[in-house]
Amino acid sequence: MNWMAKQRFGVSAATAPREPAHKPGPATAVAAAPPANHRTSNGLKEFLWLINDVRNGRILDLGQVSQATLTFFIEKGYRISTEDFLRSWKEFLTAEEERLRLAPAGDEGDKISQARLAEMFLEGSLHYPEESFHGVLAWDLFDYFDAELLPRVMERLYSLLHPAGALLAMFHSRPAERFHRYRIVNPQTIELLPAPTLAVHARVFQNREILDLFGKFRSSKTFVGRDQLREALFLK
Amino acid sequence: MWPKVPEGKESPQSSPVPVQAPMNAGVGSLASVVAPVVMNPASLPSQIPQSSAISAGLRIRGEITGHSDLLIDGQVQGSIRLANSKVTVGPHGSVQADIEAREIVIEGKIRGNLNASENIRLGPKSDVQGSMLTPRVAIEDGARLRGKVEMLRPGEAKRGAAAGQSKTSVISTPIAALKE
Repeated sequence: MNWMAKQRFGVSAATAPREPAHKPGPATAVAAAPPANHRTSNGLKEFLWLINDVRNGRILDLGQVSQATLTFFIEKGYRISTEDFLRSWKEFLTAEEERLRLAPAGDEGDKISQARLAEMFLEGSLHYPEESFHGVLAWDLFDYFDAELLPRVMERLYSLLHPAGALLAMFHSRPAERFHRYRIVNPQTIELLPAPTLAVHARVFQNREILDLFGKFRSSKTFVGRDQLREALFLK
Repeated sequence: MWPKVPEGKESPQSSPVPVQAPMNAGVGSLASVVAPVVMNPASLPSQIPQSSAISAGLRIRGEITGHSDLLIDGQVQGSIRLANSKVTVGPHGSVQADIEAREIVIEGKIRGNLNASENIRLGPKSDVQGSMLTPRVAIEDGARLRGKVEMLRPGEAKRGAAAGQSKTSVISTPIAALKE
């Protein structure tokens, strides 16, 4: 049963039974405050609910590989592929800059447009068969892509998603103060891990821009958090 | 003591005094560069060396098979099949090969598929491009993985290893496609 069907039947992640985040014991009757870098994620909750019906589902994680996230999905029977997409992009740009630096002076043929750079990068990235993933974790990557790479990545991710597959993304409501990586703590909690800056925050998306960007997707849902981070879920 | 080995026949047991591989050797044959790691002979429970090493500065192309544990701090291109052993790619190691072993530890760089019958560990500075097939995996913060992770029940992995067959082909990307 997919998202739309589930909605037609009046079921939602909010009402559907799900496993508790923690099994409280007597000693934990008084709940301790969660660590400051933990955030409740309704987007993740809904994402898991959407892919819950899939047997032997496949997940693509575009963030930094994390033992916690891997274990989380593997224990649920999913197969997971990881690709640290932003790091690969940064390394690609660094290599290109180096190539240009070493090119003979006046060699105009070596100047490459941003569009061509994006195409070249994608020739060596996200190489998977079409419709091979039931879920994609894009985290906040889209905030860091330039205007040429962004639509191309979107197009590629759309093609990689299985019909009825879901994509979870996050968007900052204002420029991110520092760079974070993310990992899953439990079905409704994400941990933000401060990390060395891999890329400069490129832009802040308005809601309308997000919907336009993901226009090919059948349906979308947005969750606004108190921490200036909007979570968006898109269904193919 | 160690049994005599006929002349001209290469054997990993043939060197009771451990040999330190030269640091600046180029591409060479496996017999000349896969040298037993320095260890106390009295501590050896059997005649098979407990561990061998490909030191930094060495490059090898070809197939590595056998029963010894292996530490790679040099460069290897080809395939590594040590089904009952532990393979460690050290911090200076750079490997372009599929690895099949009992236990795999990556601290360096590898382009290839990993198939471990017991476990795989990726250290904080590891850089892996390829698929992983194992019953248990440990990934430290900072590790880099570009590929697929598939977990097997221990029984499944053991059957695959015992038969000497890698299951990686089921889930993997061909090495050729991984080469940049």
